[in-house]
Amino acid sequence: MNVKRLSRIALSLAAALTVGQAFAATRGGQMTFGRYADSLFLDPVLNDANLDIWILTNLYDTLLQPTNDGKGVQMGLASSYTTGKDGKSMVLTLRAGLKFADGSALNASDVKWSLDRARNPEAGAWNSSLASINSIAVSGNKVTLNLKRPDPTLPAALATFNAAIMPQKLFTAAPGKNDAEKAKAFAEKPIGSGPFVLSEWKRGSYMVMKRNPYYWKKGDDGKALPYLDSVRFEIIPDDNTRILKLQAGELQIAEFIPLSRVAELKADSRLNMTLFPSTKVSSILMNNRPKLNDGSENPLSDVNVRQALNYASNKDALIQVVTYGNGKPMKSYMSSTTPLFDAKQPGFPYDLAKAKALMAASKYKNGFDVTVLATSGSADDLALLTALQQMWGAVGVRLKIEQLDAATKTARYRANDFQMRTAAWTNDINDPSQITSYYTLFDNIESVHTGFKSAEVDKLFAQSQQELNLARRTAQYQQIQSIYLKAAPIVYLYETPYPVAMSKKVKGFFQIPLGNNLFASAYLDK
Amino acid sequence: MHASYVIRRLLQIIPTFLAVMLVVFLLVRLLPGDPASAILGDRATAEIVERTNRELGLDRPLPIQFGVFVRNLLQGDLGDSISLKIPVLRLIGERLPTTLFLTAYAAVLGVLMAVPLAVLAAVRRNTWVDAVIRAVFQVGLSLPVFYVALQLLSLLGARLGWFPIGGYGEGFGGHLYHLFLPALTLGLNLAAILVRTLRNSIIEVLTAEYVDFARAKGLRSRVIMTRHVLRNALIATVTLLGLNIGALIGGAVITETVFAIPGVGRLMVDAIFGRDYPVIQGLTLTFALIVSLVFLITDLIHARLDPRAELS
Amino acid sequence: MTTMHSPALEVAARPRRRWPKPTLLIGLALLLLLLVAALFPRALAPFSPTDFDYEALLKGPSAKHPFGTDNFGRDVLSRVIYATRVDLQIAVFTTLFPFIFGTLLGALTGYLGRWSDALVGRVADLVVVFPFLVLVIAIVAVLGPGLTNMYIAVSAVGWVSYWRLTRGEVMNQKKAEYAQAGRVLGYSPSRILLRHLLPNAVTPAIVYLMTDMSLGILLGASLGYLGLGAQPPTAEWGVMVADGKNFMATAWWISTFPGLALTLAGVTFSLIGDGLADALRPRT
Repeated sequence: MNVKRLSRIALSLAAALTVGQAFAATRGGQMTFGRYADSLFLDPVLNDANLDIWILTNLYDTLLQPTNDGKGVQMGLASSYTTGKDGKSMVLTLRAGLKFADGSALNASDVKWSLDRARNPEAGAWNSSLASINSIAVSGNKVTLNLKRPDPTLPAALATFNAAIMPQKLFTAAPGKNDAEKAKAFAEKPIGSGPFVLSEWKRGSYMVMKRNPYYWKKGDDGKALPYLDSVRFEIIPDDNTRILKLQAGELQIAEFIPLSRVAELKADSRLNMTLFPSTKVSSILMNNRPKLNDGSENPLSDVNVRQALNYASNKDALIQVVTYGNGKPMKSYMSSTTPLFDAKQPGFPYDLAKAKALMAASKYKNGFDVTVLATSGSADDLALLTALQQMWGAVGVRLKIEQLDAATKTARYRANDFQMRTAAWTNDINDPSQITSYYTLFDNIESVHTGFKSAEVDKLFAQSQQELNLARRTAQYQQIQSIYLKAAPIVYLYETPYPVAMSKKVKGFFQIPLGNNLFASAYLDK
Repeated sequence: MHASYVIRRLLQIIPTFLAVMLVVFLLVRLLPGDPASAILGDRATAEIVERTNRELGLDRPLPIQFGVFVRNLLQGDLGDSISLKIPVLRLIGERLPTTLFLTAYAAVLGVLMAVPLAVLAAVRRNTWVDAVIRAVFQVGLSLPVFYVALQLLSLLGARLGWFPIGGYGEGFGGHLYHLFLPALTLGLNLAAILVRTLRNSIIEVLTAEYVDFARAKGLRSRVIMTRHVLRNALIATVTLLGLNIGALIGGAVITETVFAIPGVGRLMVDAIFGRDYPVIQGLTLTFALIVSLVFLITDLIHARLDPRAELS
Repeated sequence: MTTMHSPALEVAARPRRRWPKPTLLIGLALLLLLLVAALFPRALAPFSPTDFDYEALLKGPSAKHPFGTDNFGRDVLSRVIYATRVDLQIAVFTTLFPFIFGTLLGALTGYLGRWSDALVGRVADLVVVFPFLVLVIAIVAVLGPGLTNMYIAVSAVGWVSYWRLTRGEVMNQKKAEYAQAGRVLGYSPSRILLRHLLPNAVTPAIVYLMTDMSLGILLGASLGYLGLGAQPPTAEWGVMVADGKNFMATAWWISTFPGLALTLAGVTFSLIGDGLADALRPRT
């Protein structure tokens, strides 16, 4: 049943991936896209949210780009790059005749300025992805990055939104005393290097991106991309309304379709209900510390208990109830779409007998009470935890659900003031290092505040961060994933795709596993 | 006499306004979770959160923060939104007209539905006409707003295609067209309250002695209707509208979410969940000001309509 | 929030005419029905309100499940029945404190007048002009979501309506002949207030209490929509409607039946309110 479902997902994905190339593209027209919430701040370096990140690369291009399947990197504003023999430098060659959306030239100096701004440790939340850069030199159309150490993640980092290339002259000419103020002014009407340029933005209501006539990339017809004249984002927070609007033809694409409605929309002959592969993993983070903040004993510090909860969670049933059959069990802490995911990881297949045995071997033979923090108003959290309440009841664990609004939940989490919480993750960068540093390194944020700490993992990770040999790096990551699984600091749940419903006319649109929505080669079929 | 009354009432608003300022300032800071955590999310490190709080001036003692808030307010500056990074005043200027338009529209639709039906129900009291009118509105009043909204949307919007699904539209006509369903949703709610009360007050007038007296004097029933009944209905309507205007503006939150209308209701919810202090403060003060003024205006209208009412 | 209507004048215009008795009787009969469901859910409900049935997810109404099943395979009929107790509790607890506190305070300041009245008046102004939603979310965020904290939030605001109603009524009654007579007879102010004024002045507050009860339940639903209402796995009508909204197109029964229950409760309280308005007409 599982295999069948997976192959069905795979087929629909394959169909989605090939659709763009199958026909000659139509040029022109406006595509209207229903979003669940508006962007906040369109600065590549200083933004904080997926609402910005997932559309930013349409406005600002990067030197390298993630491929549409999310597995690799392709050339962007740079036409080629070479890595030094010792791995401690990288030379990128820019394409000839690059221009920003206002027609002014994009030079190597803009590249240096943009990357220097992006890697400034005092600015924004993303600078660590470029931390290996020591200095940047330019000459002609060549950009040389001198590194502190070999960095296998650098190509992926240069294909990530925060490394986008911005026009130095226009940015510095923006009003404001310092970088932050200039960024505020510039981000209201940004001029970038991406396939589109912002033309109108009524906050909370709609946003229009016009075609950038100076974009470098060519379409299938040999002429410059994008195909569309414009993309209009409509902000429609209520899921039902968004779907109704799509069905009425007032939208061509609607994002974040509730998984409960996927089957129904698949049956709608006017729509293409697409499940784009994602890097999204959902899990329950557990507090592994011996004592809780209030000084009381913490049953979750016992690895037997943590494993028991993992085995007692019936993933297939959860996938039915929460994702309506649109997910698959998590086997590693990282999604199966993440590079270096170890396909041999067993995960925790449902095994109630084993779970009971593990509980019996623990100090908590008679079970215990435990509280989980959920996000109030999240139907998924509710469905998940109501189901887990029953499943864990079978091994004597009485689950109490505490619903909190997101900000309170974050505050409690940051203070390690929780026993369990629901959590979801998507990668921002096409490399396993980001999720690994968050989930497994105590020195980052205490291993997503679980308190998990392993000297061995620390060592393996440090090695992998400068390991340019892919086979050796893969082996290091295999070990990290195995150690983590055995310690079970989290409850492994499921991976889910990005559910996007589109009119049948929409072709060539992609949401890549990182979440970025790409409109460059999208078009509306006649 | 009126002028001095108005001035006294306006002066009374000042202490209320000051109290609202202090309460909202303290209340938002009492909320668990800080703006930095809210905008940075789960992944931020302690250093980044600290740095952000410093940049926002939220690491300073509360009295100093309050002083800055008051000083800026006196200069007409409500600060910048923390998550959207634009001035709060501009944000409110963009969003408030939408909500006010929706509220006024809903009030008009509510009155248009309620007054004739209430008169009809009162004149035909205790007949099946009366029963049907009251039952329909009772059902409307007993169902959650989001449920009514979604039903209207899927029936009149999606299935019949008479109205657009959500949005605000362009120009006055566009607004009227796009906001019809949300205004109807809110209007139904208001009408349910109005009908219940108006019907009772009209019955009271119809059975009052002075109406009997008028009838005995031979006044035609149409004259009685307009001179006594409708006048009283109007007085009650204005009073009720004034009392409910705050609830109406506040009630726009869910309607705005369902119908994807970029008004202040949604802005407020987003700001609360995002701990966007300046936006919550600015919107609360705006709301308090509007509601106070509406109360004053309805009292004045009431006085003009009802000679018995005294302005005290 | 929409469900927080300032009520003051809604019932100020009380009917002067006796209504047919059945109003109150039907209302009380319906209330009895609700009370039976609230007190003996186990006897009435065919299933447990919280047990899952993965074999029967989202099944339409049938002989086995007259109201169908929800997305966990739970029996909707059983959940609607079990929710009755929770919703009646909401109706009582969202209104009890505001009613008692607001009415007593209203009688007191209405009788004393002057500075006490002015002071409470300013506080009431503050409460009324303050956006209710901010207050509710703040209280719920500080104390955590759940019904108890919802009661606290509603009580912080709800008393104003009762205060207004009773204060106005006491002020009118004070001028009435019997109160004047009491004073002439040398009764103590507390006796005049508690024995004579309050019983006569409390009628609008009692009538409004009925409307307020259904508004309280509706508020629970609105908070449920924002995720701040009753906590899972508790069955509550408003939250059931909110949870069922994603299934309106495919499984209408999940939200429709609790919606009908909400309506039934609303009608019940409204009939009793109308009936009481008639029965409790002031002795003048």
